[in-house]
Amino acid sequence: MTVFLESPQGDEIKEVEATAEKLSPLLSQGWHQVPAPAKHESVVLAKEEK
Amino acid sequence: MANVNELMNGWGFGKQADILTANTLAKIWRHTNLNTKPWAKVPVNEDDRAEIGKGHEFPTQLFKSHYNMPTFEISKYASSEFLAWAMAFSLGNVVLTGTGPYQYVIVPALGATNPTGLELPYFSFVQQIRPGGSAILDEILVGCAIKGWKLSIKNSPGRASAMCSVECVATGQYTSPSGITLPAATTPHEFNAGMVTMLTLNGVNYLTGGSGKQFVSMDASWENNFRPGFFPGSGTQDGYQIQGRFEFGDRVFAVQFVVRVQAGSTEYTNLINQTTGSATLTMTRDTNNIFTMLIQKMGFNVVELGNTDGIATLQITGVQLYDATNGLLTVTVTTPQNGVCQ
Repeated sequence: MTVFLESPQGDEIKEVEATAEKLSPLLSQGWHQVPAPAKHESVVLAKEEK
Repeated sequence: MANVNELMNGWGFGKQADILTANTLAKIWRHTNLNTKPWAKVPVNEDDRAEIGKGHEFPTQLFKSHYNMPTFEISKYASSEFLAWAMAFSLGNVVLTGTGPYQYVIVPALGATNPTGLELPYFSFVQQIRPGGSAILDEILVGCAIKGWKLSIKNSPGRASAMCSVECVATGQYTSPSGITLPAATTPHEFNAGMVTMLTLNGVNYLTGGSGKQFVSMDASWENNFRPGFFPGSGTQDGYQIQGRFEFGDRVFAVQFVVRVQAGSTEYTNLINQTTGSATLTMTRDTNNIFTMLIQKMGFNVVELGNTDGIATLQITGVQLYDATNGLLTVTVTTPQNGVCQ
């Protein structure tokens, strides 16, 4: 499973694997969950490296 | 007259849209509570005794001051539903995934990056005794927040071996009658100490292996240290000033645990060497109900030799360090309950 996180500045959305290991560093920096973008191709997605 | 056993508590498992807007029924659940007291509302009056010009020192008039709402404790046996709620509302940064069961990954929000600044999610609290036409008590408190919690795990039988108590605050805003028909009480999926499946603190596995018989008890607590929320425009209720926000202050995450002393116990060594490591507590009821508290970096502040029920023990006070990469604390809860803090 993945979730979408938005950066604290609101200028980037990442799709991230929903595990504590992957989420902890981002959430601790202030990233927060946002709904999945309606059109994935319309946003800049930085797919997490697996 | 009413027996306090008739008191029904319900509160928002979902968050309010803002501090002034009460939860709708769809986001309210009903739970039992080991705290037998209702949440008191305390309007405070003041008088004019300090004012000269009256010809005497005695008060002559009353003035409405403010609602001085006491804190209120929700005390329950630890369950996946209640722990998800307590952690989400007290820490603030929540990620929800899944389609049932649902997984919540929760970390403490940072004031600098939190979309709501220093404010955490708010919920509404309903308390009722014989609601209806001649209700003894029927009100909804709006704009409640979690001030702190305590999670206790100990060597004992039954539900009391894993407890969670939550301390809540309220602004003073309320509506009576509540207009809420509480649903049937939620059946929580409770944990107990027998369901602990991982217990590793600063490099020592207290569940299996050489230290597997050492563990006695553990208390973890969180305190948001809210700042007073009275300010120009904070609002009124019944002519009394109410609080208009709860902003966290210097938060405190405390962990203490007690273990039996044995030959080769490493706790003293870890203290003296200032060894740090992660700490993990996991309770697993089944695949749908799992709770994990991951403390990213723990050192020891105090290791004190003592006696617990005739067994030589060490009481250890942890220092939870903020890790530059992973932060302070990550809580992961798997539960059948959807929509917590959403």
